[in-house]
Amino acid sequence: MKKFLLVLGLLAVVGLAAVSAAATTYKVASDTTWPPFEWQAGGGQLIGFDLDVMRLIAILEGYDVNIISYSWDIIFIDVGNGRVDIGASGATITAEREAVVDFSAPYWTSNQAVIVMADSDLNIASALSAGKKIGAQVGTTGAKWVQEQLIDKGVDVELVEYTLYPLAVLDLVNGNVDAVVQDEPASRASVAADARLSIVGVIETGEQFGFFVTNGDPNGLLPKINDGLQKLKASTAWADLITAYMGGAELTKIEAAWVAAAPFLAAKDVTGFAHALAAGATAP
Amino acid sequence: MTATEILWQNVRPLFDALPVTLEVLGLLLVVGLTLGTVLAFAQAYGRRPLRALCVGYEQLFRGIPPLVVILLFWNGITPALGVPVPGIVVAALALGMRSAAYQSQIFRGAIQAVPPGQMMAARSLGMSRIQAIRSVIVPQAFRLAIPPWANEYSSVVKDTAFICVIGGLIDLTRQALMKLAPLSMRRPIGTQLILPYLIILGLFYLALTYGGNGLLSLLERRLSIPGFEMKGKVER
Repeated sequence: MKKFLLVLGLLAVVGLAAVSAAATTYKVASDTTWPPFEWQAGGGQLIGFDLDVMRLIAILEGYDVNIISYSWDIIFIDVGNGRVDIGASGATITAEREAVVDFSAPYWTSNQAVIVMADSDLNIASALSAGKKIGAQVGTTGAKWVQEQLIDKGVDVELVEYTLYPLAVLDLVNGNVDAVVQDEPASRASVAADARLSIVGVIETGEQFGFFVTNGDPNGLLPKINDGLQKLKASTAWADLITAYMGGAELTKIEAAWVAAAPFLAAKDVTGFAHALAAGATAP
Repeated sequence: MTATEILWQNVRPLFDALPVTLEVLGLLLVVGLTLGTVLAFAQAYGRRPLRALCVGYEQLFRGIPPLVVILLFWNGITPALGVPVPGIVVAALALGMRSAAYQSQIFRGAIQAVPPGQMMAARSLGMSRIQAIRSVIVPQAFRLAIPPWANEYSSVVKDTAFICVIGGLIDLTRQALMKLAPLSMRRPIGTQLILPYLIILGLFYLALTYGGNGLLSLLERRLSIPGFEMKGKVER
């Protein structure tokens, strides 16, 4: 017990020291289970479009980020109560979320894709028609769209929610749901990996992704994030990041490209990093 | 790359995450053992108000699911403290305090399973109550407590999977969940490796459960006195 208390004490001291020594490091929470926006590479690095945008904004604005892997449901609570400073997790800006956190300017516009089994003869209308079971990740705008645009409007579909997106796709393959509604880039990655799946259509929801901070922005982060985002979008790095992550390259290839480009990140070379990443991801 | 190679590539991070699960498991057992022992003695030998307090504690923690206890500790109690508490400590405290409720029942049962005549005999030899508890009751109760304690161990090993909801804590389960998406996006394999991968995750927990139980039954055999095994029979 004495040892345990000692460990507790040490942990507390280390924790406090970390907080006071690196005042310009902000904690960024991300549900790293959602390629190509955020995931864990084979070597353990947390990478993805959102996370690299975050890293590059941090370089441009002169602060450091510590990216922490978080379970999706908990991110809004912990950003909301200030345990972490920033959320970067492919989050669509919605009025409900605005009530608990403050969003940055939008950095990405997403639409919802509908995946079905390629041999099912379903089209976008029949896949979302009465009697169908539709899978979506819990708490996502895909699930919200099914609820608000179908169920609430009297279309008799059953919404089946999953804690993780790949489990919804697995259930589709196993025949437990008829379709899965999910953001387009993740859907494209799934379909590219399995010939039995196909995207039957895209729902133009035009959702805007934003980074988010604790309500009231106590650290004054939003002006920095928005300013950095503007600078990033004005540079060549923005198009390079989109090419690298949204170009449909296999994840392992993006991971290798990221590792090769990482020295640029260490050297705080924003455009150099993005250029190397895009070149690696698109190399033949 | 073959499917086996891809699978292995994704199993390796599980070994990296194993120490986190083991650390939480070890810490929670220490918390549970310490607090559980105190609660057990308080219930077996304490006065009525103290006993009632212990019963209340047990009812509370045995009545709430482990995931809910973790969410309460992580999202409710520790943010209110205002000081940063590491996730691993929150996990160990939440699950340890819950386990203490169960462990105290095991120890109290074991203490009370030692026939009351033994206490009388020890006192008649001139031992004090404390001496009798220490030298006569506890050594016997300890042996009796091992099999049900092994049961509790198996149970908390699996409870540790719930800590995956704590931010920044990458235990076995969280690590496996993080690998599902990249694993299911490997071309042209798709979702096919998810099932074998989850089976491997299960094997990790199976190894922890049976490994620990093996050690505990070894301890039980080492401590048993041939001819004087107590099978939990209570003489009245």
